[in-house]
Amino acid sequence: MEKRIIKKENLAGLVKKLAAERTVYAPVMEGDNVVYAALENGKEPLLEYGNTKDAPKNLFFPQAETLLRFLRTKRGMELKEDATGKAKEVVLFGVRPCDARSFVLLDSLFDQEHWKDPYYIERRSKTTVISKGCVHPPYSTCFCTSVGGHPLSAEGADVLLTDLGDAYLAEFLTPKGEKLLEKWGDLPKADDAAEAKKKDLLAKAESEIKSKIPGKEIKNWLDANFENPFWDTIHKSCLACGTCTYLCPTCHCFDITDEMKKEDGKRVRSWDSCMYWLFTQETSGHNPRTSQKQRWRQRLMHKFKYFVDNFDAIACVGCGRCVMYCPVNIDIRKIVTDISKL
Amino acid sequence: MERNPYLPIPVEVVKITTEVDTKDIKTFRLAFTKKEDEENFKYMPGQFAELSLYGKGESPIGIASSPTQKGYLEFTVQRAGVVTQALHNMEEGTPMGVRGPLGNYWPINYLEGKNVVIVGGGFAFTTLRSLLNYMLYEENRARFGDITVVYGARSPGLLIYKDELTEWAKRKDLNLNVTVDKGDAGWTGREGFVPTVCKEIAPSSENSVTVICGPPIMIRFTLPVFFDLGFSKENIYTSLEMRMKCGIGKCGRCNVGNKYVCKDGPVFSLAELDKLTKEY
Repeated sequence: MEKRIIKKENLAGLVKKLAAERTVYAPVMEGDNVVYAALENGKEPLLEYGNTKDAPKNLFFPQAETLLRFLRTKRGMELKEDATGKAKEVVLFGVRPCDARSFVLLDSLFDQEHWKDPYYIERRSKTTVISKGCVHPPYSTCFCTSVGGHPLSAEGADVLLTDLGDAYLAEFLTPKGEKLLEKWGDLPKADDAAEAKKKDLLAKAESEIKSKIPGKEIKNWLDANFENPFWDTIHKSCLACGTCTYLCPTCHCFDITDEMKKEDGKRVRSWDSCMYWLFTQETSGHNPRTSQKQRWRQRLMHKFKYFVDNFDAIACVGCGRCVMYCPVNIDIRKIVTDISKL
Repeated sequence: MERNPYLPIPVEVVKITTEVDTKDIKTFRLAFTKKEDEENFKYMPGQFAELSLYGKGESPIGIASSPTQKGYLEFTVQRAGVVTQALHNMEEGTPMGVRGPLGNYWPINYLEGKNVVIVGGGFAFTTLRSLLNYMLYEENRARFGDITVVYGARSPGLLIYKDELTEWAKRKDLNLNVTVDKGDAGWTGREGFVPTVCKEIAPSSENSVTVICGPPIMIRFTLPVFFDLGFSKENIYTSLEMRMKCGIGKCGRCNVGNKYVCKDGPVFSLAELDKLTKEY
């Protein structure tokens, strides 16, 4: 692994250098929000920010994407095009370690041994992820260390940048990452002092995460308590708006629908949410999850039990978006903590 | 990389059979457009597929034909929602798509050397028909012991696969019991509910497995009969239905606990279901 030093004043230029030859998505200011957007026409990437409002999963698993196109002919409806094979080389800059970790979790589902998802895999494999470590975790709602993450974790990243104060330590972690180094040319090698500083920061950054939840510890309770009066206590203020699932970096449930415009049609995959009544509504009228209580139980169980059963990891990266943006202040940290006290 | 699992396999509707008096249940015979697709579509009784109608959407339906029937697939479909309505309006010769085979299948290996009791109600006899035709197939028949079938519908006009019922009734290597809740003027067969008939014919539980599909109310009253006969939960199998989209364990809606009905099911033994949550 190559370890180099990037001077602070040079970082934006290096990112824009990449943007000159391929699409680079980076945090930018849009109105009051920091969001991921393509750096076009010399647009500057944001270098100082907490985290983006939207999760970067959108890059691999877009909110809406065309799976295939078809055509109405005299004979009937016929397939026109399989929409795979269109992904381009992309750089995703400035991903926080919690969000980068979500890619690894999503990989375990979309790139599992059998039934690989070509749309996701294609975009993922053509994207180089540059993470930006959280030397000072940005929010009081950050809880990555409780669910298997770390504010300076390299998991899911091809390149990890760590702010050493006067410069960035750039670790080129994968072959994809090292290819960027070729483009960037002669960056000075990191010396022992830089490495020592990073080591120091690891413990410091971790200690700055004040919000802790017993994410792993509640598994035994969840295993045994699908039926429990506790489930009646968490959903009552929920509006079923789905914001938590849409902003969540690991939520991946989707719908597939067909759209027609005159003779042209397409099959579209779009985000769906377990918070919605229609999610499990069957044609017969039967619905296995008719109440918001059941849907909330599903959301929590999926993250802290089912995903753990199936992939040996909690499907939460501790980014805190659902906590920050829930319109009625439902706090998943409180729910998990309350369960641990039962 | 494996074939894009979201891409339907092109097929053509070659035969449509209206199964019931109410005309809302039809069997669609689909032939593969490409020979190689036919060869690659290897399935077992109990599996399902997504019937894909461009412009309308997809519907997960159990495969009603048996893999021993070469050259086509059959699906028996009730007209209910957008996709099945469009399917019912289709004519022979129309192209459409199929995604599959999906899911697990009836425990064929486990059934070998055992007596098999098939219990079906209403039009939930589709993958049971697949299983029955598979076991009755000349080269397969010796692999299984006695085969008993109890199949019921509300009225004679609602029985599906009528021609096959006539053929099966002639066989000596099959104990076929067809019943209707209430007969009509032309009905000379048995009258009575499925649980009652099961009780009357009382199949032995020794070295036997029951495979049951039907409306929830029928299953609810039939299971105690089989428990009384000594069938263990390990030896009773059924098939679940849930709303599905992807069919490959990703879209997130058909889970029962940590299992996905589309990928880990639809076939479960009662013993397996006991370990899952009751959310289906």
